[in-house]
Amino acid sequence: MSGPPLLELKQITKRFGTLVANRAVDFEVRAGEIHALLGENGAGKSTLMNVLYGLHRPDEGEIRMDGVPVEIESSRTAIRLGIGMVHQHFMLVPVMTVAENLVLGDEPRAGPLLDYRAAARRTRELSERFGLAVDPEARVQDLGVGAQQRVEILRALFHDAKVLVLDEPTAVLTAQEAQDLFGVLRTLKAEGTGIVFISHKLNEVLDVADRITVLRRGEKIDTVPAEGATERSLARLMVGRDVLLRVEKDEHPPGEPLLSVRGLSARDDRGLPAVRDVDFEVRAGEIVGLAGIDANGQSELIEAIMGLRRPDAGTVTVAGRDVTGAGPRRTLEAGVGHIAEDRHRRGLVLEFDLAENLALREYRAPPYSRHGFLHPRAMVAGARRLIDEFDVRGGEPETRAGSLSGGNQQKVVIARELDADPQVIIAAQPTRGLDVGAIEFVHRRLVEARDAGRAVLLVSLELEEIRSLSDRVLVMYEGQIVAELPPEASEEDFGMAMTGAAA
Amino acid sequence: MTPKRLGWAGIALGFLAFFIAVPPIMLRSIVPIVVVAAAGVVVGVLAVRGGERRLGYGAIVAGVLGLGGGYAATRSGEANLEQVVVWGALLASTLRYATPLTLGALGGLFSERSGVINIALEGMMLMGAFFGAWGADVTGSWVGGIAVALVAGALFAGLHALFAITFRADQIVSGTALNLLAVGITGYMYVAIYGDQGTPDDLPAVPDVSLPIKSVPLLGDVFGQLNLLVWVALAMVLVTWVIVFRTPGGLRLRSAGENPLAAETAGLSVVRTRYLAVMTSGALAALGGAFLSIGFVHTFSQNMTAGRGFIALAALIFGRWRPGTALAATLLFGFGSALAQRLPVFSPSGAVLFQALPYVLTLIAVTGLIGRSIPPAALGRPLPKS
Amino acid sequence: MSDELPPDATVAAKLATYVRAGGVITPLITLLVAFLIGGLAVLITGHDPIATYKAIFNGTGLNWLFPWTSAQDRTIAALNLQQTLIVTTPLILTGLAVAFAFRCGLFNIGGQGQYVVGGIGAVWVGQAFAGMPSVLHITLAILTGVVFGAIWAGIAGLLKALAGTNEVISTIMLNWIAIWTGSYLFNLGGPLQNTNPAQKDVPVSNDVAASAKLPVFWGDPQLQGLHIGLFIALAALLVFWVLLNRTTLGFEVRAVGFNPDAAASSGISVARNYIVVMAICGAFAGLAGTLDVLGWQFRIAVNDIQINQLGFFGIAVALLGRNTAVGTFFSALLFGGLITGTSVRNLDPNVFEPALATNLTYIIQGLVVLLVSTDVLVIWLWQLRRRRRTVPA
Repeated sequence: MSGPPLLELKQITKRFGTLVANRAVDFEVRAGEIHALLGENGAGKSTLMNVLYGLHRPDEGEIRMDGVPVEIESSRTAIRLGIGMVHQHFMLVPVMTVAENLVLGDEPRAGPLLDYRAAARRTRELSERFGLAVDPEARVQDLGVGAQQRVEILRALFHDAKVLVLDEPTAVLTAQEAQDLFGVLRTLKAEGTGIVFISHKLNEVLDVADRITVLRRGEKIDTVPAEGATERSLARLMVGRDVLLRVEKDEHPPGEPLLSVRGLSARDDRGLPAVRDVDFEVRAGEIVGLAGIDANGQSELIEAIMGLRRPDAGTVTVAGRDVTGAGPRRTLEAGVGHIAEDRHRRGLVLEFDLAENLALREYRAPPYSRHGFLHPRAMVAGARRLIDEFDVRGGEPETRAGSLSGGNQQKVVIARELDADPQVIIAAQPTRGLDVGAIEFVHRRLVEARDAGRAVLLVSLELEEIRSLSDRVLVMYEGQIVAELPPEASEEDFGMAMTGAAA
Repeated sequence: MTPKRLGWAGIALGFLAFFIAVPPIMLRSIVPIVVVAAAGVVVGVLAVRGGERRLGYGAIVAGVLGLGGGYAATRSGEANLEQVVVWGALLASTLRYATPLTLGALGGLFSERSGVINIALEGMMLMGAFFGAWGADVTGSWVGGIAVALVAGALFAGLHALFAITFRADQIVSGTALNLLAVGITGYMYVAIYGDQGTPDDLPAVPDVSLPIKSVPLLGDVFGQLNLLVWVALAMVLVTWVIVFRTPGGLRLRSAGENPLAAETAGLSVVRTRYLAVMTSGALAALGGAFLSIGFVHTFSQNMTAGRGFIALAALIFGRWRPGTALAATLLFGFGSALAQRLPVFSPSGAVLFQALPYVLTLIAVTGLIGRSIPPAALGRPLPKS
Repeated sequence: MSDELPPDATVAAKLATYVRAGGVITPLITLLVAFLIGGLAVLITGHDPIATYKAIFNGTGLNWLFPWTSAQDRTIAALNLQQTLIVTTPLILTGLAVAFAFRCGLFNIGGQGQYVVGGIGAVWVGQAFAGMPSVLHITLAILTGVVFGAIWAGIAGLLKALAGTNEVISTIMLNWIAIWTGSYLFNLGGPLQNTNPAQKDVPVSNDVAASAKLPVFWGDPQLQGLHIGLFIALAALLVFWVLLNRTTLGFEVRAVGFNPDAAASSGISVARNYIVVMAICGAFAGLAGTLDVLGWQFRIAVNDIQINQLGFFGIAVALLGRNTAVGTFFSALLFGGLITGTSVRNLDPNVFEPALATNLTYIIQGLVVLLVSTDVLVIWLWQLRRRRRTVPA
């Protein structure tokens, strides 16, 4: 290849307070190339791309376009330079139409007014040219995830992107949708667009990329051609050691059903059916995995079980007690431990100290309180015990929960929920955003609970996690349980079920 | 019929029960009123059963209110009724009372559509009321008064923008601060400039517009003689709709309020958009205040807005952040004020109590429907720091 | 984790962060800035700010505390200080009414209405039952005022819990409804207008019976001495602290205030908390109105209801006091002093006109809330600290 690369990042360093998110990272993309950026959660991939897109300013380093150094002060500059970004969380306005989202920032005008007809026309032209089918008049909130992603890509192309950055684009897609996306990316590559493909999934990267750069803890480890690389070699670069692929568990037959859900239906916040006639049970001594692509009713199902969402129909029974619509307190008291999906939103009160967070379930009973009066010393003593037992690091009972790292915050949630000695444990995305060490800790605790005869419902978007931990796996699609599979079933079988293609 | 239609029908029946008891129909028997009101309640119950809870309960409340109002009307003298319920005058007065609310609500619309809560409408309105009067006095013309009010309102709103947007203050707290500050600033300047005398009697006033339709029944009474600013407010409803929903600027405004990061990543400056929106908000609210002082009562008195900014905000929420429905809400509250002004004919001692009517109406309206109206998604959220 | 707040943090979380970052220094700097800007306003209207503030300070009677004050000045200062503390009493309580709500993530702007309604309850019971044993009569009147206030604010809590009605709007509407209802009650021909034939053209209530008046413990009862209501307010501060920090109810309130979703997930009923908290807030504000009626006003005139602003001052008191018990006491004292020091009775009109000074108080109050709303200074200090941290050693 001749001439300088389309885009070059040189020796980029970005710090947040004392945390170094990127340390002297080099990265480049050529025209007509798909260059993957590979790394674990928290390796600094997104930070690097936010620097590129002007959302963060780098503390050190230089960015060059076509060999010319540039200052990217804001997204506006990035767009002007021809950098387009498809964010992990779509940067779309849900209540607006596809055409409105596309033209935002560069609107066709008819006098002082916005020329809606021209906007729709240009949307249609663009979507035909790149084979990205969307309806310009549709509201984004009514579109499926795959279609929303197409809108994001179109939006970048509308602004004449020469470099297209995709941040974990397949995280929300089905296997088929992901394949469609790869097709689109190859088309764009053939037209000379430089593509940055960010992912932590090895097989995809090998599938689509020309070159692969691996980041670990904010540092660039290596750049290798995709040809000749293997999943194992990439995994080693990514994690720094061989990865543990299987979790050790005892073999023993499950016991009595402890959680049983019968004919459960519920609606989402917009009043649309989200959970439809769901039936399953979790027995003592087993881990049941609930697999599925994001937003197929998993969150609503958990909320309906926990009494946080009023079910339209059906029953929930915990250890023989009917808790349907009984509200969270009675559901918890019936013997449920709930590791909430989003620990910042539901799991913890970040402004509370650890003692208060650890007492959040049991504050109404002795020893934490008597006759409505709190007993702070008992709370501190209890907290100290749990902090030891669950190896929470970086905190005393008086430390604010918000100042802990994500992994230790999750340990606090798990300590609180398991200390109540629940019969049923509902773990929703328990390892999201955690580092490898913390993930292993969480997995070990869940397996221990199972071996101790608890019933564990594990909800996760990571199929690998579900397959390595579960005794059996339910697959949820559009609010329904569409399949029950053994964890050994092939990835294709899971893929089919998760996209609703199973018979 | 769908439960939703049943609900609306019930609400209409409730109003009808009251309507047939007052001039020009003025039935003197309670029987038909009870029948119509009861029908409204029954239809409301059916709607609730059908799953349409809010409209259904609305219909039940409307039926009960209609019955109460209708009963009160049959019990009062015909002469009194004819003096109070003169629809032409009542509606013209409704428009006058609604005007500051409409301008305030439109102002709030700009700010809130851009994602900035504007509870400071009250203070901005009060600033407009004082500076409108002062400007008219100093420049000797109502045009000068309006101009000064607009500038004062925009600058004062700029303070809200500075704190809410740049300093990322809690928007409700900073808005409350501005309301308190407006009382202090206008009170201080009023005492310093006018002392015990009050504003001069010959304060230039915004003129009325006389239309040659006086002889047309009803319409002539309602629209024949209205203040210029009443018409301006009505025109602004349309203008606001066009700007917000039909121009590139409006698209940007709404995107800032719905998903500011989307706007930023499209290369727009959310901060600039929000500043502009909040300052426009202040100018419009101030225009509403100026109407009070130099269009309506022709004087300034301390704290004269008396919660109208908050009613305007409630109308905006009730109207689901849309100009047309917000206008409808302000007309409803305006009607409450207009009626309260005329009710003392019945009971002089109760006159004071009737002053509470618009506030009660606002409370009922906000309670009944607020759960259904979905605010701009990013309302009250500052832009995340990078 | 950094100290930065998520964009949707509750007010309670924000203020907790400010307290952590700035301690007691920032409220003091806030005050200094507010007084400086206020002084500028004084200067613009052609008066001497230093002399004005000095006159206002002397009007508060706080110089009574200085050992060098002469015996003669001390007598006047004592009278003034009694007035300051009389105003401080309801301000503590209206401040608590706002602070308690804030701790639950609610913004109670309805302190004014709750204060008025509490006063109505107290005057209603206080003017009746003449001759009842004093302790009983006072207790009954206080209870009525407290319950009235609790119910009035409870309406807003109930509407929020059942229909999701925004409490800011509903409490403001309830303020105006309370004000106009109160005005109606005591107006000419109103149901609670006085029954004294000599005063039938005066829109004022009957006087509270002697048995319901609070005893005066400092100063001359004839000259509006300081009544024991101050101790009731101080006790309320203690109740506030214990309730919030040492009871399960307070634990729930704080959890809901910081993060309603997490609170709900751990089994706390958020709706019930909203109702209970608003009722408690109303009880505090109602008590404020009650103590004013039983302690020194002894009657309510329509005019009082229309111009009184003590409920609104509660917002500034609570915010400046960072929603804590101790902070609320000191900021109530500060605003009590300001209100008294700028009153017609206590401010020397030759130095500064009281009508102007009253509005000066409003300006300072507004500035305090504005500056507290963001703590520009806190942010500035943070940035300073961060800059120091990132400079390579």
